[in-house]
Amino acid sequence: MHRKGFVRKFKVLEILTEDQIEEIHKATLDVLWETGIRIEHEGALKVLEKNDCRVNYQDNRVYFPPRLVEECLRNCPGQFQLTARDPKDSLWVGDNRTYFGAAPGMTTVDLKTMESRVPTRKEMYDAVTVLDALETVDYIMQYTPYFGFEGVPPAMAMIETLAAKLRNSTKFTAEGYSNDCEIFTIQMFQAVGADMFISCLPSPPLTYHRGSIEACLRAVEAGFAIKVGGGGIYGGTAPATIAGATVSNNAELIAPIVLFQLIKPGTRIIVYNFNYPQNMRNGAPAFGAIESSLHTAIFNQTWRRYGLPTWDDSGEFSSSKGIDFQLGYEKSMNTLLPALCGGNGISVHGAIFGELTYHPFQAILDDDIVGMIGRFLQGVEVNTETLATDVIKAVGPIPGHFLNREHTQRWWKAEQFLPKAADRLTYPEWMAKGKKSALDYAEERMREILETHRVSLPLTPSQEEDIERIIREAKEFYTQKGLI
Amino acid sequence: MSTNLLDDLQKAIVTYAAEDASMLATRIVKEGIDPLRALDTMTLAIRQVGDGFNKGKLWLPDLIRASEAFQAALPKLMEELRRSGKERKSSGVVVIGTVFGDIHNIGKDMVATLLMADGFVVHDLGVNVTAERFIEAVREHRADLLAMSALLSISAPEQKKVIADLKNTGLRNTARVMVGGGAITQEFADSIGADGYAATAPLATALARTLLNQR
Repeated sequence: MHRKGFVRKFKVLEILTEDQIEEIHKATLDVLWETGIRIEHEGALKVLEKNDCRVNYQDNRVYFPPRLVEECLRNCPGQFQLTARDPKDSLWVGDNRTYFGAAPGMTTVDLKTMESRVPTRKEMYDAVTVLDALETVDYIMQYTPYFGFEGVPPAMAMIETLAAKLRNSTKFTAEGYSNDCEIFTIQMFQAVGADMFISCLPSPPLTYHRGSIEACLRAVEAGFAIKVGGGGIYGGTAPATIAGATVSNNAELIAPIVLFQLIKPGTRIIVYNFNYPQNMRNGAPAFGAIESSLHTAIFNQTWRRYGLPTWDDSGEFSSSKGIDFQLGYEKSMNTLLPALCGGNGISVHGAIFGELTYHPFQAILDDDIVGMIGRFLQGVEVNTETLATDVIKAVGPIPGHFLNREHTQRWWKAEQFLPKAADRLTYPEWMAKGKKSALDYAEERMREILETHRVSLPLTPSQEEDIERIIREAKEFYTQKGLI
Repeated sequence: MSTNLLDDLQKAIVTYAAEDASMLATRIVKEGIDPLRALDTMTLAIRQVGDGFNKGKLWLPDLIRASEAFQAALPKLMEELRRSGKERKSSGVVVIGTVFGDIHNIGKDMVATLLMADGFVVHDLGVNVTAERFIEAVREHRADLLAMSALLSISAPEQKKVIADLKNTGLRNTARVMVGGGAITQEFADSIGADGYAATAPLATALARTLLNQR
C-alpha cells in the first residue's frame, strides 16, 4: 500500500541529446578520478581505499576509478518503498511517479508586516496538522515546517520538530543531521515503526565534512534510505555554467553513493537536486531563478541514465518575501518544470523566502499549484469513450448542449481539477462575497482544517512514552556537551 | 618609471590581474619606490571597485577578483614596509573571519574587501577560525575592530565564545566587535555583547566607521 502521488502519462521532457548526456557522464567520471572528492572521515577513506580508490590521507582526497563508480551505481535500487508510520501514507519511489511534499522555513512570517519571526509551539503543531490534512502533501522534508520553535535550543530543534511531525501527522518524513541529532531521530523513527531518509549533504565544491558522512553511516547501519546531494551555487561553489555545475554536482553525489553501496550493497538512495545560480549582487542563492529548472532538467536526465530516483527542490523557494505575484510565478514555473522532467519527489508546500520563511497559508495555496500540475501530469486519455463521438452525434448542433448528458456527469470531475483556494467567481459574485482573494480562502481553509482535522493514527501511549524518553535523553546529551 | 609602475598596479587591481599585481609589487620594491605610495594606490584601486559595486555597476565576481589581486600584491609591500620601519595610516585595523564550525566565506569576503576599499587595514583569517586564533590575531595586529561572520544557526554561538574569551584575556576593551552573517540578528548581537551588527556588506563598512569613531 502506498500513496498514489501523480503518475506521468506522457513522454518525459528531455532537453539534451544522448551524446550530450554521455559527455556529462564522461566529464563526471573524469572529475571523480582526476580531481577527486575530499571526504573528512577516516573510516570512509579506509573503506574506499580497500576498494580500489586512490586515497590521499594528507588532504582527505579520494579518487574514484570509473569501473567502481559504474558498478556501485548499478547496485542502487531503481524503485523502492519508503514506509510511513501509517501504511496508507507509505511512498513508492521511482519510475514515472511524482510525489510532492512540504518544504522548510526557518521562521514563520507575519502576513501583515511580511516580517519573519520564530514560531510558537502551537504554530509548529498547527502547521504540521495543516500539512497532514492537505491531499497533495505526500511527505514532509527535514527542517519542515520550521527549524524548531520558541523556547527550543538550536541543538534540540530537529528533534523537537520531528516529535511534532510524528505526533500530528502520519505522512512520510525525512531528516537532516546536526551535532549528532540523528542518534536520537533514528531512535524516534524506530519507536514509531517508520522509515525515513536522511540527508547526505556535500559542502561544495567537492567536499564532505565528517558530520554529514557520520550521520549517514549511522542511518545506513540502521537500514534507512539516504538522500544524497544538494548545495551547489553556480558561479560560487560550482562552475557558472549549468553543464559544469551538473558535472561537479554529480561528482559530489556519486562519491558517497559509492561509499554506501560498498558498506551495504542495495542501500536505497535518492539523489537530490538543490542548485541555484548565485545572486551576484549579495552572494545569496538566487532562489526562484529559472536556471534552477534548466539544471533540474539535466539532473533528471543524467540520473535517469543511472537509474536512481530523483528529488528536486528547485520549486520550493522563491526570492519573494511575501505571498505575492512573484512568489506565485517563481514557485509555479519551478515546480511544473521538474515535474515534466521526471522528478520523483518535488518539495514545494509552504516555503516562502528561500529557506527562511514558511507559512501554512502558502502550503494551502501550493496545494492548488500542485493539484494543477498533478492534473497536467495525468495527461489526456484517448479512447472510444473519451472521443465521445456517440454523445457528439446525439447532441448535434445548437440548440443541443452537453450539460444534460450522462457522459458529462460521468466525466467532468475526472477531467477537471477543482482548486480549493483559487477565486473562480464571476465578477458580480466576487463583489457580493466581499472581494475575497485566494489568500482569504487559504486562511478560511486553514481555520477549517485546524477545527476539523485529526491525525488518522495517533501515537500509542507507549510510542508517546518512547518519544518523551528520547527527548529527555537528547536534552541530557546536549547539556553534557555544553550545547544547552 | 615609478609612476608607470604605480599606474600599472592600479590597473592590475581594477582588471583583476592577480599575477600582474604580485609581479608589479616585486618590481616596485626592487625599484625602491615608497611602499606607502604603492599601498595608497592599491587602496584607491580597490575603492574604485568598491564604489562600482555599491552603485550596482560591478558585481560580486568583480569585487572578489579585485580583492584577490589586492591580496596578491600585499605581502611584498607589507614586508618592505616593515623592513623600512614606516607605518601605514589607516581608518583602523580589522581582524575578520568566519567562526569555527562554519566554512561560508562569501559574505565575509565582501565585508573584508569593502573595508579595504574604505581604507581599513584588514587581516582576513579565513573560515572555520577558532576563538584562539581570533584572540591571537587581535593581540598580534593590535586590532581596533574584530569582525566575525556566521551563516549557520549552529555556528552562531561561537561568536559568543570569542567575545567571552576576549574578555578573559583582557582584550575586550582594546577592540570593538561587530558580527554578521545569515544566522545573526540585531537581537542576537545584543544578547552576546557585540558592539554592532550589520545585515549587508555595505552596511558593515558604515558600521565599522561608526564603531571606531565612537571610541
